Amino acid sequence: MRPIDFENLDSVVQAGRVHANLYRDPDIFELEMERIFGGTWVYVAHESQIPDGGDFITTHVGRKPVIVVRDQDSANVHVLYNRCGHRGAVVCNLSSGNARRFRCGYHGWVFDSAGRLVSVPLKEGYYDGVDLGDPRYGLVNLPRVASYRGFIFACARQDVEDLETHLGPVKNSIDDLVARSPVGSIRVTGGVHKYLFKGNWKLQIENVIDGYHPSFSHVSTLDERGRQFRRRGEEKEGPAIGRAGSDDPNEAIAQMDVSSYAQGHSISGALPERGDKSGPAYQEYLNLMRQSYGQERAEEILGKDWHNTLVYPNLCLQMLAQHVRVIKPVAVDRTEVWVYPITLDGVPEQLNHDVIKYLNITHSAASLIQTDDLEQFKRIQVGLGGDGAEWVSFERGLSRDPVPSEDQAAHAIGSSELPMRAQWQAWRTLMTGEQRA
Amino acid sequence: MTDVAVTTMSDAQAREAEQLLLLEADLLDERRFEEWIELFTPDGYYWVPLHPEQDSYLTHLSIFFDDRELMEARVKRLRHPMIHTQTPPSRTCHYVSGVRVTGTDEAGRIAVSSRILMLEYREGEQRVFGGRARHGLRRVDGKLKIASKRVDLVNCDDVFGPMAIPI
Repeated sequence: MRPIDFENLDSVVQAGRVHANLYRDPDIFELEMERIFGGTWVYVAHESQIPDGGDFITTHVGRKPVIVVRDQDSANVHVLYNRCGHRGAVVCNLSSGNARRFRCGYHGWVFDSAGRLVSVPLKEGYYDGVDLGDPRYGLVNLPRVASYRGFIFACARQDVEDLETHLGPVKNSIDDLVARSPVGSIRVTGGVHKYLFKGNWKLQIENVIDGYHPSFSHVSTLDERGRQFRRRGEEKEGPAIGRAGSDDPNEAIAQMDVSSYAQGHSISGALPERGDKSGPAYQEYLNLMRQSYGQERAEEILGKDWHNTLVYPNLCLQMLAQHVRVIKPVAVDRTEVWVYPITLDGVPEQLNHDVIKYLNITHSAASLIQTDDLEQFKRIQVGLGGDGAEWVSFERGLSRDPVPSEDQAAHAIGSSELPMRAQWQAWRTLMTGEQRA
Repeated sequence: MTDVAVTTMSDAQAREAEQLLLLEADLLDERRFEEWIELFTPDGYYWVPLHPEQDSYLTHLSIFFDDRELMEARVKRLRHPMIHTQTPPSRTCHYVSGVRVTGTDEAGRIAVSSRILMLEYREGEQRVFGGRARHGLRRVDGKLKIASKRVDLVNCDDVFGPMAIPI
């Protein structure tokens, strides 16, 4: 393996291709954890998971274990490194709950929901006293925590732009999701699908915004006409993807579009032929939406039917199988992905039940769709370990597609590799500490 | 339904229930998936919860929750010549033990408890899935059928690599 020259990333990140080492070099992975997952806003939780004071969930920022907790007094959300200020044990090993205090199981140090050390057993053994207020003994707060309409992000660096500037135009995708509820309220509830694959984390964020792969990778889910199974109990048939291996530009998948931004974010357009909107539960939902928003606005909301929104580097929102997907890097060749259903408040129960039921077959570890891609990620990781071709190609659309900026989307046809190029643009900026163009 | 009801069950009935579970294991291991579906009643379902005390498949995610429609979609995919995740296919061995009829009711439904292990091998990796199974059986046209099958894996809320074969 050729060593990477970190001072000269031009040698490994080029216009339409990147060097295979960027997926397999453990040193690169370590640097990504420091400069990407430790250098920009990372999604950690949704506020509906911690509605009350003292509510917490545990998760990771990059590989670092954290507690996301709602302060009992101020109701602010803190993101605390889950590491005792004494010997370093995780102080909370539950996935969620409500706690007045966190007490380390080893020697009994106790912390409050803001991370402050509040008591230490056998204090007199510290002959010079122990200053409970000394921040080095507390649970360390990530310096930046912010929420956009319930979606909580944290950043390990103080000196970054504010969350809304970072999100830029993909804020609209969050707005679109919330607007799908006639009462303007969504919740992340109903459990979480957790799966892992033996591949680099970037393979998953490239995949969610890859409009080129579905009709081939997911061919085993398509019927003769290139249609998939239903996504709602009332639908007559599922969405059209297209016939595998077809070169016909009229295939459904070829009609998608995609928009990308310099922050690495992308939004893929909807499949042109999704399931029909028939059935009494859906009609009731339409009526509720019209009552809440008026006919025109309701139609506008339901017309914003993008497929996936990738918020670089670790969050994907999907409209079709309504969910929040969180990408968790574990090692250079190992990644976990956690998938949470989105519940819409104020809609007929059946719509939310359908999200749960069909999310099992699209994104559980035993799903019919996601497992196809996991197999491909594994094969890529194995293939890239071989010698011969040293590069990975992202050249589809390269000669004509515009280059994205932060607030100006670059648009392309859905099968373009523009979104991956935007991700590499963001990757380069974060890894080198350069300002974005 | 209580265990007391078991005493009224004939040995023949208990044996018939056990034979059905063993047949189910054979059909899955021999990849006779269409015949496996036929063991279920038309309104039957196969359920592997994602949470140890899960009481709903409508308000909480499941690893598997297949009604007849989804079972058929799953098996249709398993038969597809280009199912990448089963190229090459898994080899499995389902173990069924501790089969016990735990109750019957007036409608002739039989509740069966058992322990299940599935050994799976694919591409250099062997995995074990195991836990408690609860079958709800019902007689249709004289034949015992599966109206419900629930498998509670001991590690149901773990992080899993991709799965393809029902447990």
